[in-house]
Order: sequence, then structure tokens, then C-alpha cells
Amino acid sequence: MSVEFNLITETKENCVVINTTGYINNIGGQKIVDEFNNRFGNGINNVILNLAHSNVVNSIGISFLIEIIEKLNQTNGKLIFTNLDPSIDKTFTIMGLFQFAKKAENIDEALKLL
Amino acid sequence: MNVVEYNQIIDKLALQVKSFQEGFSILSKAASLKNLGENFCHILRANFLISDVNLFYKISEETEWESIRLVNKNCYECLPLLTASSGATFKFYTDKKFSIIATLPQVDKSYWGLIIGNKIDNTELSELDKISFQMFFQLLDNAYQSFLNQNKEKQLNFSLNHRVVQLNSLIDTGIEISKLHKSSTLFELSLERAASLTNASYSVLKILSGSQIISEIIFPQNSDFEKALNSTKRIETFVEFNGLKYLFTLSEKESRNGIVDFDQTDEILLAAFARQVLAAIENEHLHNEAIENERLHQEIETAASIQKRIIPQTLPNIKGYDLAGINIPSLEIGGDYYDVTKLKDGKYLLIIADVAGKGVASGLLVNTLNASLNAYVENEFTLTEVAGFLNKIIYNASTPEKYITCFIAILEPDSGVIEYLNAGHNPIFYSSKRKIIKLDKGGLALGMLDFELPYESSFINIEPGEKILFYTDGITEAMNENGEEFSDENLESFFLNENYNCAESFIKNIIENVKKHTGDTPQSDDITALYICRR
Repeated sequence: MSVEFNLITETKENCVVINTTGYINNIGGQKIVDEFNNRFGNGINNVILNLAHSNVVNSIGISFLIEIIEKLNQTNGKLIFTNLDPSIDKTFTIMGLFQFAKKAENIDEALKLL
Repeated sequence: MNVVEYNQIIDKLALQVKSFQEGFSILSKAASLKNLGENFCHILRANFLISDVNLFYKISEETEWESIRLVNKNCYECLPLLTASSGATFKFYTDKKFSIIATLPQVDKSYWGLIIGNKIDNTELSELDKISFQMFFQLLDNAYQSFLNQNKEKQLNFSLNHRVVQLNSLIDTGIEISKLHKSSTLFELSLERAASLTNASYSVLKILSGSQIISEIIFPQNSDFEKALNSTKRIETFVEFNGLKYLFTLSEKESRNGIVDFDQTDEILLAAFARQVLAAIENEHLHNEAIENERLHQEIETAASIQKRIIPQTLPNIKGYDLAGINIPSLEIGGDYYDVTKLKDGKYLLIIADVAGKGVASGLLVNTLNASLNAYVENEFTLTEVAGFLNKIIYNASTPEKYITCFIAILEPDSGVIEYLNAGHNPIFYSSKRKIIKLDKGGLALGMLDFELPYESSFINIEPGEKILFYTDGITEAMNENGEEFSDENLESFFLNENYNCAESFIKNIIENVKKHTGDTPQSDDITALYICRR
């Protein structure tokens, strides 16, 4: 069951890896976007969002993720989701996120896609 | 205007039309409002040779102007000149730092405000410039409406996709929780899904027994119960099962503009999740009940196999006598019992007993009778003393409605002398000289009363060719489909008239006769018989 939302960020090559824990809702989504905005630019144009410890997301959280996707699309950047819970994978598929973002099994596999 | 000037205007307008088309193409691809505004400023700069282009936007008449593109901070002085009226306003100046100040109201009640400086070459705006500018402003109007429509389309797509997600998740959750056998896991899953699909910040489940809280679960874990349950923006529903109330609460519906009210769809979804949980709880209950029944069934099977060991598999060989017995319980554990045991003094103990009722309790009493009888009979007590002891033991070991009828006989094989005692059992048939003598002397059934009632034993002498049939009322009361009993008369007649060379055949035939009488009617009582004849 999800606990309080938290995130840890690391930089790998020209990519920022955001590791989340907990419910991606209004609060979680805003934190992800804020973190993205802080890191975006400065040579970083790709984002890996590792959802290994987030198995619940609501549509408000998704709207924040779409915001990131739209911003990256303007600069030909990429967003890759990793370690998706099957229910989130299905939700993202239905919401059409994978038309503009990719998914990978884990962070190493995601880095190969960049 | 001469022809040359006229042709020049035509050429310029033709050029502007091309610029409008290119401009609209650029503006309609804007990813955001800021992007739209910035691109519009670039188009103006390119077409009017003006670098000082400042653009503002406000969401409604009441809100403040926000800068979209700010080149010259001095333009803030002119903000009061941006009038929020119902139609587009254009003011052209030749004596100020700025040459154009314009306001454009939009269909969604928002406004664009434009403050433009002077041309780079310091020339005044021509009439054509002014007309062109108004046309470009119209272009912004069209592009903005296109932008709004695109956003509406996106929102509509998002909303439709979200509905599909809700339906899918509802189905998936139903399937997932039906596979879960641990209540806590299914509660957690349903709370997670209910919150995420309704955009609730919190979901809570309270399990109540009356007003007492048995359990409270919240999603997200470790959240503040008080905050979630005291929110003014919340919806609730409950289901009840087995005396417990399961109260579900969704609290604080999120939106990008803050907390909003839950809608009817949210209430329907919450009720659907609650029903799914109820179905899962019922299934879990039935599953546990099935496991418990299986366990009880196994215990009964074990008890039945223990009881079967009390019923003799083979009877002892008594020189000069032929004997056979049978016990067919109607349930797994019967309440009938018979036995033949050789005693230390060479005599034989023969017993048949019938416990009032059937099932496990009756089986336990049969075991008590068997153990007690074996304990006493080998000691030098008289048969009446043994019956007295047994009465006390059975009385103390059983509930008031339980008692045992039994017939006990001690056979001295060489002489054929039989001492018997009938404790409330149906009369035992003794055939002597082609007449039936009913052996019924003895006393009350064992365990019926706690009084020191005297038991009385009697004696017979079984001669060669004579026979005795011990039986329980499961034979005489065996009913056919018309409710007719096999009857004492039938059994008497069979016993008296049928001559079999061996006891085994007699038993076999009497059972066949009873079954022929009952036909397909289920056996309602235990059937037990012991037959002995002297050769």
C-alpha cells in the first residue's frame, strides 16, 4: 500500500532519473513536475521516471506527467517509464501516454533506449 | 490614389495574406498559451519592423494582467490604457513612446493586451499598417480559439480515456479481489483503486461492530485519519455482513485547481467497489466454512473409523454354536453396537446396544459403554451390579435426552445356560421348541435415571437347534416409501419360520428382506443384529 509520496533524483549521462515512492496524485505529480523543471535544460533533455515504488496513480497525477511529455516533445527530449506496476502500465496504455513516451523494464534498459 | 499607389497596396496586401497563412500555421501549433503569445509577437516583429512588442494576458476582467512577452518595462505605465471591453479596441499614437495599445476580448472571457513601441525606422504607422495590424490581431483571435478547441479536444480525450480506465479498473479489481483470500489485502487493494479512480486524496475503511470500531484502514498508508474523515469534501457508503458494518469513505477529490466536490460517478464507483468487497468477504466466509466443514468431515471420518473398531470384524468361535452379526450405520457414526467377548472363566459375553439418537454424541456414548463394560465384566461383579454401574456412568456421561438400551447376555457354552439382562431394549427373540420367547426382563435403559433402580437378570438354557436373535429397532422400524415399518410381526415370522443352516446366511437374508421392504427409501436408523444358534 502506498506511503507518503517521496522522490529521489539522480543524474546519469544526459538524463535525469526520478525515483518515486507513493501515490502519484496532485501532490506527487506536482513534486515530479517541480523536480523536472529544476533539472530540465542545462544539457539534460531526457527523463527516466522510475515507478518501482509507486503502484497507484490518479488522473491528476497523469496530467502532470503529460505536462512533462509535452515539454520534452518541444525539445525532442524523451521520457521513459520504468518498473511499471501492471495496473499502471494498463492505465498509461489506455490514456495514450506511450504514444509520446516509452517504457522499459528497468533503468539500465531505459538508458539503452536513449 | 493613383494607379501606381493602388498597385503597391494590392502587392502589399497579397504579401500580407501569405504572412497571415504562414502565421496561422505557426500559431495553431502552439503547445501552450505562452508559446502562442510569444509566436504572435515574433510574427508582428517580422511584419512591422518593430522590436518593442509587449504582450499581456488576463484570465478574466477581474484578474490582473500577466506579461506573456515583456521587452520594455516602461509599458507597465500604459497598462491602465488596456481597457477590458466587450469588443476589440485599437488606439494608435504618434506622440507617445508606444504606437499601438490594443485589447482583444476572447470567447472564454479572457483578454489579450498589446503594447507596441515605435517602428525601428521611426516612421509613423501607415494606414495599411494599421489595417494589417487589425487583421493580425484577428489572426491571434482565431489562433486562440483554435488553441482552446485543441485543449478542449485534449481534455475530452483525456476524460474519455479516464472513463475507460475506470471501467477497466473496476473489472480488473473485481477479478483481482475475488482471487484474494486475505481480507486485509483485498481491503487495501479496493481502497487504492477507489481513491485513484475517483482522484480522491484519501480512502478509508472502518469495520464496525455496532458502535465499536473493529478495524480502520487508510490509503495512503500512514495518512491522518482525522483529516480524511473530517473533511467537508467526502462521500461514504457501507455494506454489512455477518453483524459487521464496512464503512467506506472517499475524502478530498483532487483537481488541478484544488479540492472539489465528488460527483455522481464517484458515488457509483465507490458503491461498486463496496459491493465487490462484500462479494469477496462472502466468498471468503464461504471458503472458510467449506474448509471448516471439510475439517469436521475428516474428524467425523476419523471418529467413524475408531468406532468401527469397536464393532467386531470377526466373532469368536464358540464350540457347539454358530453365530453372526451385522452393523449398518445410517450415518458415518452410528449409535448401535454389538459385541461377543470371551471371558476369563471361559464364558462369553454377548451384547447389543442402541443409543438414543445418532451421530458423534451417540458414538461417544457407545465408546463409553464399550470401555466401561470391558472394565467391569472381567471383575467378579454380577450382571445386575454391572448394569447398575453402567447406568451411573452413562447417566453422568450423557445429556438428559441421551440414554442407551441394551441387552447383555453371559453364555456358559458347555451347558447352554445364559444369564441375560434387558436394559430397556426391545425384546430379544429366543426360539424354543418352535415358539418365540421374548427376553425382556432387566430394567430401565442405561443413563435414563440416576436412581439406584435395581436391575434384574434372568436365565434361559439354550438347547441344540435353538436360536436367539439380538436386534435393534432399526430393523423393525425400517420404513418403505409408504411409511410402513418392517414391523415386529414380520421379524418374528421370519425368525420363526426361516431355517438356515448357518448364522451367516440368516443374517444375510434378514438384511435382504429389510432392504426389499424399504426399496429406495433412505435408511433412517442404524441396523444391527446378532444371531446365535446352538448346533
